[in-house]
Amino acid sequence: MKHRVEHLFLAPFLLFLAFFELYPLTNMAVRSFLDETSQAFTLRYYLNVFTQPHYVTAIRNSLLFASACSLVGAVAGTFVGYIAVTLPRNQRNFLLSLYSLPLTLSGLVVAFAFIVLLGRNGVLNLIVQRLFSLPRDFYFDIYSWPGLVVVYSFYQVPLMTLTMAAVFENLDRSLLEASRNLGAKPWQTWRYIIIPILAPGFLAGLSIQLAGMLGAFGTVLALVGGAKNLLSIQIYYHTSESTYNLPQAAALSITLIILIGCVLYALSRMEKKLRPGG
Amino acid sequence: MLKRLLFLFLISFIVVPLCMPVIFSFSLFWQDIFPQGFTLQWYEAILTRPRTYSALLTSLVVAFAAVSITLLISAPAAYALNRMDTPFGRWIRDTAPILTLIFPPVTVGTALVLAFSRPPLMLSGNVWMVIIAHSLIGLPFMFRNTLASFRTLNERLLSEAAASLGANLWQRLVYVIIPNVMPGILVGALVVFAISIGEFEVTSMVAGFTGQTLPLQLFQQIRNDMRIASAISSFLVYNSLLSFIAISYLSAQIRGGPDRRAA
Repeated sequence: MKHRVEHLFLAPFLLFLAFFELYPLTNMAVRSFLDETSQAFTLRYYLNVFTQPHYVTAIRNSLLFASACSLVGAVAGTFVGYIAVTLPRNQRNFLLSLYSLPLTLSGLVVAFAFIVLLGRNGVLNLIVQRLFSLPRDFYFDIYSWPGLVVVYSFYQVPLMTLTMAAVFENLDRSLLEASRNLGAKPWQTWRYIIIPILAPGFLAGLSIQLAGMLGAFGTVLALVGGAKNLLSIQIYYHTSESTYNLPQAAALSITLIILIGCVLYALSRMEKKLRPGG
Repeated sequence: MLKRLLFLFLISFIVVPLCMPVIFSFSLFWQDIFPQGFTLQWYEAILTRPRTYSALLTSLVVAFAAVSITLLISAPAAYALNRMDTPFGRWIRDTAPILTLIFPPVTVGTALVLAFSRPPLMLSGNVWMVIIAHSLIGLPFMFRNTLASFRTLNERLLSEAAASLGANLWQRLVYVIIPNVMPGILVGALVVFAISIGEFEVTSMVAGFTGQTLPLQLFQQIRNDMRIASAISSFLVYNSLLSFIAISYLSAQIRGGPDRRAA
């Protein structure tokens, strides 16, 4: 009887998620198959997603952009995470808590900061121009794809750093010494000891990066509006702007969720394979 | 030496971008490399312009409401789940923290608009929908923090000890458990508050005219008036910074253990 009462504590949580997350998402999945006016079954909206050029481009752009941002974040974050654990304790704690700040920071603030820093008249651009007496039309363009990758690294690098710092902290140094004492060459230590230990954490970090980036759009929207064609931006415009078309937005959303599901699944499969003994 | 430079570079990677809106917001104008003049008038503008002022109030109300909702539903759930060793319990423990990862905010926003934009459930386009959306986004963070504090506490042992001394469920909660999980809950509350104050994406999808929050005003002002945008951005930076300082302080206390906390 005592346990019954305590299980009741779970009810508000489950009811809230059921009513405001599960029901809307299921409803969205159903509505993406229904014609808006006649309410008859249709595959039209999904057909659009895979045949209309601007949707196909959006999917391709989203995949490429998310991969680029995640790779930059994953590689740089691993490097920074490694540096972080070699720092003295108080410096490491400061760095790691500072790197948890972007997590709560509005995407619009980041957009604003980078417009002032690296925009057409951005401070850094002006400094570089003056220093090397470069022409006025020579500047780093944050409104281009590579520029957006740089802006998003403000989020991605710290996120990966936090993951990888934890992984490096758990790396048992005596394993490395043991492998050296047993006569392993450096590449063997890397191949058989270090990479298998780091891989699960690295892939988990990479999944967080990829899944997050596939759905991100706030900073892009603030910087370039709809000028960059991403799947998330298409969904946003179909839900809340002039191109209002809810069933199409629903089909695009379901596509995005499936895409993220596939990415997460593939990475978790890879993680299992890379595990020692896998 | 090289390591110190590297450390400074890694710090400035976050600090320099964050300084931009702050410096901008205190300057009369900033067209060239150096900003000129000192003023507080852009902050004053937030308070005197009716639209930004009401957006500021809306943001604060929404953030407090989202913190309360997530807290009231996750703290009891974390308590129950911490004791639940069934596959169902484990599944919820593993899934709830990654919900925003599997269902990104943009799809949740679309789903909310679709589900609640026609009778009998006309919630979309007002401040209630914004509160619910922010609660959904904040929930995984709140849940993760509350669950973690129950885990590290060894709550069952404490509860059993209290029960053996004759405390009933209510007394155990009020005198034993809640005081001990408080730092973890506060960390969760601060994260949810900071996320809610800055949330733009879903808010702009579900907010109608009555749900205008500060970030929505910021989005407009980035195109219209960079000076007012700078003051709003700075306000959001201060907010994140303050919760970051409070979280660091609380985490240090949690690591320090209950004895040091009592002292």
